[in-house]
Amino acid sequence: MPTVEGLISEKLYTIDPVASVGRAALIMERYGIGSLPVVEEGKLVGIITSRDIKRSHPNRLVADAMTRKVITVPPTACLTEAQKLMAKHKIEHLVVTRESDIIGVVTHTQIMSELGKYTDGLTGLNKAEILYEKALELLKKGQEITVIFLDLDNFGFINKEYGHIYGDNVLRQTALILNSLIDSNKETLCRYAGDEFAAVTNRPLPEAEKLARQMVLAHANENWPGKIKVAISAGVAGGRCSELHSSGEDSSYIVKYLVNTASLASTRAKKLKKPVVAVKAIEFNKTVGM
Amino acid sequence: MTLQETSRSPEPQRKADISIKLSEFEIPPMQDILLVGKRAPIGPEAVRRMVDAVSPEQYEIVRLNHEVFEAVVVKKSLLRLLPKEKLLPVVIDEGNRIASENMVIKAQVNITIQISRTVDL
Repeated sequence: MPTVEGLISEKLYTIDPVASVGRAALIMERYGIGSLPVVEEGKLVGIITSRDIKRSHPNRLVADAMTRKVITVPPTACLTEAQKLMAKHKIEHLVVTRESDIIGVVTHTQIMSELGKYTDGLTGLNKAEILYEKALELLKKGQEITVIFLDLDNFGFINKEYGHIYGDNVLRQTALILNSLIDSNKETLCRYAGDEFAAVTNRPLPEAEKLARQMVLAHANENWPGKIKVAISAGVAGGRCSELHSSGEDSSYIVKYLVNTASLASTRAKKLKKPVVAVKAIEFNKTVGM
Repeated sequence: MTLQETSRSPEPQRKADISIKLSEFEIPPMQDILLVGKRAPIGPEAVRRMVDAVSPEQYEIVRLNHEVFEAVVVKKSLLRLLPKEKLLPVVIDEGNRIASENMVIKAQVNITIQISRTVDL
């Protein structure tokens, strides 16, 4: 998953607090940049942005026009983290620092453009990369994770029988239903691929299974156009990841393992004509090799 | 008028009058109080640096959360006569009536303390 480091430009421009606002404006215009970190004796003391410049007299000192409270991120911060920080502080520029060294600036436009690559254009949901990133983040915090994998039944038939436009509408509507049921503080939902959706959650397995059942039920109760039957099956995998940790595997292995296990469980749910099949990962690990 | 006549006409005389007014430069050039507008050509940091250079330790800068003014620079000796909680609201209120946020207003302030005491005879 990309971090802010990938967005930093090679050349970093800074300005002294006793330079004039006019000088800052000139530098920004010359190099096509929207902000300058303000540095005094090697120390970051503020940031001056094009917004600050617009509302200041050009004769003013940068120190009298800059924003003193500078929000910084380390280069290892992921894009969603940076985006949340910008939204929280209502800012458009983040200064990237490694310890006390300034290494660059990233803008809201850059981050949103990069994040757009990880958003599914049809449903507006995250792509799978975001789910993997969130799952790893939870594991790093020492939390147990559960994966819910949802697969539309006979979606190929729907596309063939009613056309791809109808199929696209089914996918969009499915995304809306699933999204309305998740708690964004606990779950991260994504369109995994084609007609498959997945969510990672920090709820324990029984609670995640309950959520999966709610998702399948809400989907079944939806009034689909033409009153056709559209069903979805869910597989849930999780529980006791700490035992997987102790097997010596890294965190990304655990996430991949859980996604795979949950996807196999959804296939099993389809075969057994059950709405949801839940699997305790460690037990599954003993029966299915990867 | 022919070309020949034009060439004969005299050149216009150019003179410069120089007028000089000499007076002593006030140090500091800001009197008692400065009210710094939010969009004024100089801000509080510039004022601080100027005051520190020309009159070190004589002025105090108070940053404001005000609709027109960003800061007020006040002579410390005034604050010995009247606490700033009493003095500044009056000056800011009066300044606000005439100023815009693009301006820096200088104010000359005279404070007279009136005292009446009674002693037992």
